[in-house]
Amino acid sequence: MSDVKHDDLLLVDHIHTYIGQFHILEGVSVRVPKGSITVLLGRNGAGKTTTLKSIIGLTPPREGKIIFDGMEIQGKRPYNIANLGIGYVPEHRAIFRQLSVLENLKLAERKKGDFERSSDFIFKLFPDLKRLYKLPGNHLSGGQQQMLAVARALVPENKLLLIDEPSEGLAPILIQQMMEAIETLSHTTTILLVEQNFIMASQLAKQFTIIDDGKSVSSGLMKDLVLQPEVIHRYLGASIKTRIELEMEHESKE
Amino acid sequence: MNRKNKKILQTILIVVVALGIIVGLYLYAGQRAFVSTIFSGLTLGSLFFLVAAGLTLIFGLMDVLNFAHGSMFMLGAYIGWQFYTNPTFIFGIAPLALAFGTGVMFISVLKPYVVAWNLSPRMQKLLPTIAYILAAVVIVFAVLGFDILALADTAMVAMTTTTVGNPLAEISPQEPLEEFWIRPVLIMLGGLLIAFGSSKPGDKTQYAPKENLGKAILVPAILLVLTVVSVFIRESAPVSVLLMNGNIRFLLSILVSVAFGFVFGAVIEIILIRPLYARPTFIILMTLGLSYVIRELVQFLWDPLTYQMARPPLFAMPGKAASIGEWLRNGNSTIDILGVTVPTYRLFIIALGIIMFALVTLLMTKTRLGMIIRAGVQDPEMVEAMGINVKSVFTLVFALGVALATLGGIGAAPFLPVQPLMGDAYQTQGLITVVIGGMGSYVGAFVGAMILGIARAFGDYFALKLSLSPAIAEASTVIIMVIVLLTKPQGLFGKKE
Repeated sequence: MSDVKHDDLLLVDHIHTYIGQFHILEGVSVRVPKGSITVLLGRNGAGKTTTLKSIIGLTPPREGKIIFDGMEIQGKRPYNIANLGIGYVPEHRAIFRQLSVLENLKLAERKKGDFERSSDFIFKLFPDLKRLYKLPGNHLSGGQQQMLAVARALVPENKLLLIDEPSEGLAPILIQQMMEAIETLSHTTTILLVEQNFIMASQLAKQFTIIDDGKSVSSGLMKDLVLQPEVIHRYLGASIKTRIELEMEHESKE
Repeated sequence: MNRKNKKILQTILIVVVALGIIVGLYLYAGQRAFVSTIFSGLTLGSLFFLVAAGLTLIFGLMDVLNFAHGSMFMLGAYIGWQFYTNPTFIFGIAPLALAFGTGVMFISVLKPYVVAWNLSPRMQKLLPTIAYILAAVVIVFAVLGFDILALADTAMVAMTTTTVGNPLAEISPQEPLEEFWIRPVLIMLGGLLIAFGSSKPGDKTQYAPKENLGKAILVPAILLVLTVVSVFIRESAPVSVLLMNGNIRFLLSILVSVAFGFVFGAVIEIILIRPLYARPTFIILMTLGLSYVIRELVQFLWDPLTYQMARPPLFAMPGKAASIGEWLRNGNSTIDILGVTVPTYRLFIIALGIIMFALVTLLMTKTRLGMIIRAGVQDPEMVEAMGINVKSVFTLVFALGVALATLGGIGAAPFLPVQPLMGDAYQTQGLITVVIGGMGSYVGAFVGAMILGIARAFGDYFALKLSLSPAIAEASTVIIMVIVLLTKPQGLFGKKE
């Protein structure tokens, strides 16, 4: 992992992150090449979310390097990291519930006019938001909140988006819509995705990194991973497999 | 649906009970006593609001309970009173304070250069320590022989004589410029040394881009100019301020007090509170200790005495005005409202409270800063991850909160005895207000403050009328708090978490 390639937008190099006294990440390395989607896979509690938080600086790593766009960013404050052009979409739809949809989007501006510039694109991607833009965040449904959380990261010009579990708790039809949105985004922005839904991950992502028990254990191209059911089973557990089987059953019925 | 109905029913019940109490009090007390009590209640409520607004904003955003808020209220009263009565003190120490600030603010210019130095880890530790020790020595030398007590004393002498004859008679001359100039220069050097030490020379992990140096130099440059100006106007400015129209002078004292509170609050947040965010109990102890430090400092400068600040001319002429127009023309001390004699200064305080509520509301709902604060109350980490410097927002909000407290202090100074403990009662009432209104809600702070003020005023009224112990009046606000907490544990406007 030490050979830095020039097409890597982000390189996470053997980071160790502690939360309080707990050693959460014990050497995680991730390569995110420019211009495509990379997905972090792994069981619940493996350290995927902490990896994203370490990149954006909310849980700064104690050891290791994070290189974004040719610059070392570990140890910088989150707002400095974000201002380099990284958008962060946290899990659990962490939108600001007391603020209206419009205010949530306006708050994400980094310079004046960001929202005016990006609003057409955002409302084309998520037409629902245009209809709801005056409502306070706590009046939105779960799916709408998730869309707002993603939309918020699109307001400023970002080179990289960190998206944490966009499909979590969404109805199937909304998962489909979210997938299409992320697919559209990947044409213009590099994306690092955390996704439990293996079907969604395998269809969207070009590269993958598997994190298990705080360590990155495997990485490569997604098209190779789908041919290795034993790796999937070992690190991602039976639940993923059943989901694949369910999906296959579903498809065979159709 | 059921929950919504219950909520409506509850609101109706509260309104009916409140109306019943108001009508009952009106019938019992009669129109004159009722109106006059309401006015004193609103006056108290306005002051409670000015204290509680800062407390609630600071608590809502940073989870910090500032137990020095009452002392800051008191300090605001002293600073404003000093500027109004005799500005020699303020203008005398301004060059030193500004010089120090200038030195420290040069950190933004120094930092990008010194962090890039190649130093051994040993030197990285040693250099700041040396810088701090040197700074302490230099600053001690700078203030050696500077008679700060004499400056505070002149102010007091002047106060006792302003009413008779020449208001300028007692201004004693300040140190001549030939001897004085070295003090701000040395202090600025001390500030620079502190800036050097705290910019962590050689620590390359620090993020300090050189690109926006033009922007970084702006603040220290402005401060430098102000310092130079303040050195030269040290002797002439107090005289010209004292010869000003009293109302304008009062307005200036308010501005000075608010500006002082803002800067003081920012400094306290950066130096004392910022290192402790991870340890909330430490913050409580620290602010409690700070309140004693402030109080002792004030007693050291002005002795533990009680002063009465003269009212500005607009509220000073004996006699009752029949209308607002007449009052504004003549500056009467009282005015006739609905057959009741109301001190005009009370109207000023009520107006001050309402204006500040309007301004806080505008700030919170219409500005980007307000948006950031409302978002930060819920999730400061996410706000930071969006590219907003939350630390500096914390500093700004703390500074604004303290500025509101000092505004309350100078507003109350012509109306309350100015003494070192004057803020304590207001801090207690401010905390009760915050609990009643709901932690973090400025609307709650306003409504709660007005309810408490009126309750307190009626408590006083009943204590007097029924010859009860004055403790009953004190208890009235606590009783209200108990009732509110029993019915709505999260406060009137508090959000359930």
